[in-house]
Amino acid sequence: MNPGAPLIEARNLVKYFPIHAGLFSRHVADVKAVDDVSFAIGAGETLGLVGESGSGKTTVGRMLLRLLRETSGEIFFGGEEITGLSSDGVRKLRRSMQIIFQDPYASLNPRMTVGEIVGEPVRLHGIARGKAVEERVVELLKLVGLRPYHANRFPHEFSGGQRQRVGIARALAVDPKFIVCDEPVSALDVSIQAQVINLLEDLQSQLGLTYLFIAHDLSVVRHISTRVAVMYVGKLVELAGRDALYERPLHPYTQALLSAIPIPDPAVETRRKRIVLSGDIPSPVDPPSGCRFHTRCPIAFDRCAVEEPLFKEYGGGHFAACHYVEEHGGAAPDLTRGPAVISGS
Amino acid sequence: MGALLEVVNLRTAFRTEDGPVTAVNGLSFSLDAGETLGIVGESGSGKSVTALSIMRLLAQNASVQADAIRFNGSDLQTKSEAEMRRIRGHEIAMIFQDPMTSLNPVLTVGEQIAEAVRLHLHLNRADAWNKAVDMLDKVRIPAAAKRAKDYPHQFSGGMRQRVMIAMALSCNPKVLIADEPTTALDVTIQAQILELMNEMQRETGAAIVLITHDLGVVAEVCRNVLVMYGGDMVEYGSADQIFNDPRMPYTRGLLASIPRLDAAERQRLLPIKGQPPNLLNMPPGCAFAPRCDQRMTVCDQKVGLHDFGSGHVARCWLYEERR
Repeated sequence: MNPGAPLIEARNLVKYFPIHAGLFSRHVADVKAVDDVSFAIGAGETLGLVGESGSGKTTVGRMLLRLLRETSGEIFFGGEEITGLSSDGVRKLRRSMQIIFQDPYASLNPRMTVGEIVGEPVRLHGIARGKAVEERVVELLKLVGLRPYHANRFPHEFSGGQRQRVGIARALAVDPKFIVCDEPVSALDVSIQAQVINLLEDLQSQLGLTYLFIAHDLSVVRHISTRVAVMYVGKLVELAGRDALYERPLHPYTQALLSAIPIPDPAVETRRKRIVLSGDIPSPVDPPSGCRFHTRCPIAFDRCAVEEPLFKEYGGGHFAACHYVEEHGGAAPDLTRGPAVISGS
Repeated sequence: MGALLEVVNLRTAFRTEDGPVTAVNGLSFSLDAGETLGIVGESGSGKSVTALSIMRLLAQNASVQADAIRFNGSDLQTKSEAEMRRIRGHEIAMIFQDPMTSLNPVLTVGEQIAEAVRLHLHLNRADAWNKAVDMLDKVRIPAAAKRAKDYPHQFSGGMRQRVMIAMALSCNPKVLIADEPTTALDVTIQAQILELMNEMQRETGAAIVLITHDLGVVAEVCRNVLVMYGGDMVEYGSADQIFNDPRMPYTRGLLASIPRLDAAERQRLLPIKGQPPNLLNMPPGCAFAPRCDQRMTVCDQKVGLHDFGSGHVARCWLYEERR
C-alpha cells in the first residue's frame, strides 16, 4: 500500500432493501437506505458519520464490514477491492476489520464467560491455541482497563460501561486495523461515556487504529473525529474536517443539525440562535425528488425540487451537496435570518 | 404565596427478591407556579421514581413515605384514589419518554385526548372531540381534524410526542412533569418539541418539571436545576449557579466529562472514575464518595445540605469542614 493512500474507500455505494407484499411476494418498492455514497478514510484517521434515524449511517458501516452485501458500488480496503469477495475471503478480511456495537447488553452472549467471548475470535482465526489463548485474553482485558479475574465472569455481572469494554476487547482480539464504532457510547450513562471515549482514543494512538465512528451525538463526534460526514435520507450532504464542519457548515441541514444541539451552558444558550426545521424526516422508501432535504429546507428554491445537487468540493477537502452553495460559489447560506429561526429566550 | 408543589423528605423504597431497595432517600424540593425545574441524574439516581411517587403511579411493591407532598396547599398523601384520579391529568399531567408505549394502540389519538377532556372538563362528546382537534392543531399537527382519526402507529416518533403533549395540556394542568420527553427523538425533532413546550408554557403558565440526563437540554430550558445522585439531591440552584459555579464534585465532574459542541480545542475528557452506586449496597455516607477525587475520611458519614445563599445548596463535606 502506498503511503497517503486511504485505508478504506467506498465508491458510489448503494443499498436498497426490497419490500415484498402480496400473495406472491411481489417486489413492490425499495427502502433506499444508502443511495450513491462515496468517501475514503485514511489510515489512523477517525471519520465521524452522523445523521438522524433512517439516514443510512449504520447500513454504510455494515456494508464496509461485509455484513451486508451492497446493491451496487465498490469498496476498497488497503487498495484492494473487497466487494465481491468469497465468504472465505470475507472471513480472512475480518481479521483486519471489526465492529463495536451500540448495545453492550444485546451484543454479548449471556451464556459465555467474558474469557470465552474475548477468546473466541482468537481461536477461530487461529491466532493462538490452548494456554496462549488465555494469555491473550488477559492481555486484552488489561488493554481495555479490565482485570484478569474478570475473564471468569458472565456479562450480566458487569455494568454497562464495563460491558462495552468487553465488546471493545473482543473487537481488538484479532488485532484489526479498522474498527466500525456504531454508536458505542449512546447506551451508556453520561459519566461513563467519557471513560469509553478516552479508552477508544488511547487505543487508537497505541495501536494505530482507524475508526469509522457512527453516532447521532454531534458533540461526541466533534470530540473524537478527524473529519466528519453528514448523512440525510441515504445521501451524504456534507463532509469536512471536524473544525471546518462545525465552524463553517455549508449545507443548510448541517447548520440546522448543529444549531439543534443544546450546549450545557445557559449563558451560551441564551445568546444562540436556533434553526428549527419544520416537518419530519422523510421516509427512505419514497425520498423527496431533487435534493432530499428540500421539503424541510428554509431556503429551498425551484431547482431543489427537480434536480439532485452534486456532492462537490469547495476547497480544503470540504464537500457539500447543495444548489444554493453551488450557485453562490461555495458561500454558506445564512439561515439565521430566515423565518425558521428562534432566538434564545 | 407558598410553593405550588412542595415535597418534604420523600422516601421511596421497593421490596425486591434481593431485599429492600431505597430508590429515593429523603428528597425535599419545591416548585413555584410557572417555574421550569430540571431534575438531572443518571440511571438509578431516582429522578423518575420521584415523579411517579408524587403521582402515586408506582407498582404494589413500592412504599412511598413523605413528611408532605403538598400541591396547592393540600397534601396529596391524604387524597383518596378517586381524588388522585381527578388530579392526575387534570392538575398535574405527565409526559413520558416513549410515546409509543404510553399511548393506547387501539384508540385513535383523537379519542384518547377527548376521553381525558370529557372526564376532567365534563364536556360532551362533540365538544370534547373538537377540543381534541384544537389541541392537536395547537401542537402543530398538520391537518389535525383528519389526523385525529388516526391511530398512534400511523404517527412518527416526534408526532407521537406532540400528541402526548396535546393530551397532557388539554386540561390546562398547573404542573407538567416531563420524564425524558425528547430522549427517544432525533435532535432536529427534539428542537421542535422543546420549542413547543416553551411556547405552551408561555401560553398556559404551567410549571414544568423536566427530568433528563441531558445537561444541554437543561441549560436550554430550565430556570432551576436539581441534581440527583444515588436517590438524593446533591445540589440545587439556578441554572446559572449550577453551570457556572457548581459546588458538589459530582456536578463538577459531570460538566467536565461531557464533550461540548462549541469546544474550540480538542481537549481530553475528564471522566468520573468508577460506576454509579448499586442501590442494594449503598455507601454509608456520601453516595458519591467512592468515585470522588476529593474524598476525605469524613465522607463515610452522612452530610447535610450546605447553603451558599440565594437558593444554592449542595451536599458535600468539603464545605462543612471550612466552618
